[in-house]
Amino acid sequence: MITFNVLKFFDQLTGEIKLMKDFVITVKGRLFKPCWTMLSTFSRRLTRQPISVRNGVSRFHSSAFTGAEEAPASTSSKLSKDQVKRREMRRMAQRKAVARKPASDHPLYMPVTKALRFLRAAEVGQPHTQQTLSLTTLVVAERGSPALSGNVSFPKPLKDIRVAVFTGDETQAQMAREKYHCHVVGGPELVERIKQGEVSLDFDKSLATPDIANLLASQLGRILGPKGLLPSAKKGTVSDDLESLIKDSMGTLPFRQRGNAISIAVAKSSFSDRQVLENIVAAQKSIKEALSNQKTKRPSLLSQTTLSSTHGPGIVIDFA
Amino acid sequence: MSRVVRQLKFLNKISSTTIKPQILLNPESYGALNLTFQWQNHNGHMGARKFWHEYLPTLQFYNPELKINISRVKNDKKDVMVPCKLEILSPTGSVVETLDMRDKDKESIMDELLAKVNHERVSSKEIVKV
Repeated sequence: MITFNVLKFFDQLTGEIKLMKDFVITVKGRLFKPCWTMLSTFSRRLTRQPISVRNGVSRFHSSAFTGAEEAPASTSSKLSKDQVKRREMRRMAQRKAVARKPASDHPLYMPVTKALRFLRAAEVGQPHTQQTLSLTTLVVAERGSPALSGNVSFPKPLKDIRVAVFTGDETQAQMAREKYHCHVVGGPELVERIKQGEVSLDFDKSLATPDIANLLASQLGRILGPKGLLPSAKKGTVSDDLESLIKDSMGTLPFRQRGNAISIAVAKSSFSDRQVLENIVAAQKSIKEALSNQKTKRPSLLSQTTLSSTHGPGIVIDFA
Repeated sequence: MSRVVRQLKFLNKISSTTIKPQILLNPESYGALNLTFQWQNHNGHMGARKFWHEYLPTLQFYNPELKINISRVKNDKKDVMVPCKLEILSPTGSVVETLDMRDKDKESIMDELLAKVNHERVSSKEIVKV
């Protein structure tokens, strides 16, 4: 087996800190052939003054700034396109292999009830608003496949879900305001106020009618878009019939894949075990649903799932 | 140290390597602990904060029913005195014992708490190791 360690090394002659590669060959656990090679910038100096290097190494081991570091990023740019592609394929295969392993193989795996005991202990004495438990699922996706997204409705919601309704139709606005008590309701004047920053964006969802959708996209795309709050026909949040939309969306929370993970806040640590479990099951159901609705030839895989809290550790749970 | 090892160390610190607070309190005689101390360290409040961070997670881990409430008072003025106390409450909510935490380190606070409450130590079989 060959092990590489890149070490920081202080050169007394030039007064610079250099990187040095420690290269050790072991056979069946026994040290076979230790040798040191320096990284490119230092290799010439090594040939001229091998003794000073040895001294430098011993000084390094006794000094305080010991630390193994990754090889500098500059080496990766030297790879050819073919190599990069092969490396990506290799990493993909690794990620898929991890996704196929059962969660119980992981050293940090715990049943949910035991994990909750740890998380509640880690959150002790913190303000209640901060004690949120969140569920993070890694997603192994092929390149170019669309991000997972969907809606989850929890049996025990964390908070009241606030809905904003944009419409130019006064009767629909009236209905949203009086029948469903939506958080913000308005037409073009509301768009203008949001653009000026007079209305705080403290809602979780927004719905619109088609007559105002274009105005929203052009005026507020930059403001609502990054927060995932811009209504669009593709997401199914623009419709003539607002009543059915509001009915469906009251009590559901949108989630979406960011990077290669989906993260959902599932509970507060004051919830009982049963409530937390029910919420986790609801989250699992809606993530699976999002997977089955994904429009791609090769659907994404769900990998490791961790349950974590605001101040606590991440604990791997069984999510399959 | 890898990510997993660090995490295991964190978990074990809660459940097994912190020895002193591995006690069981009878839920019929004790209902809650109320701690009040200052957000800032001055005027001798550092021990209380350390006590909370080092020992209370383990106490909570072995006593899931015990409610631990912490109120931290923000106070920048050094001439204003903020109470630094630990109240032990019965299940009905009346104060059973009070402990002054000012100018004490976390270990002596823990020792005093152990002296004031009736407890039994968690047996070595029940200690959770990850």
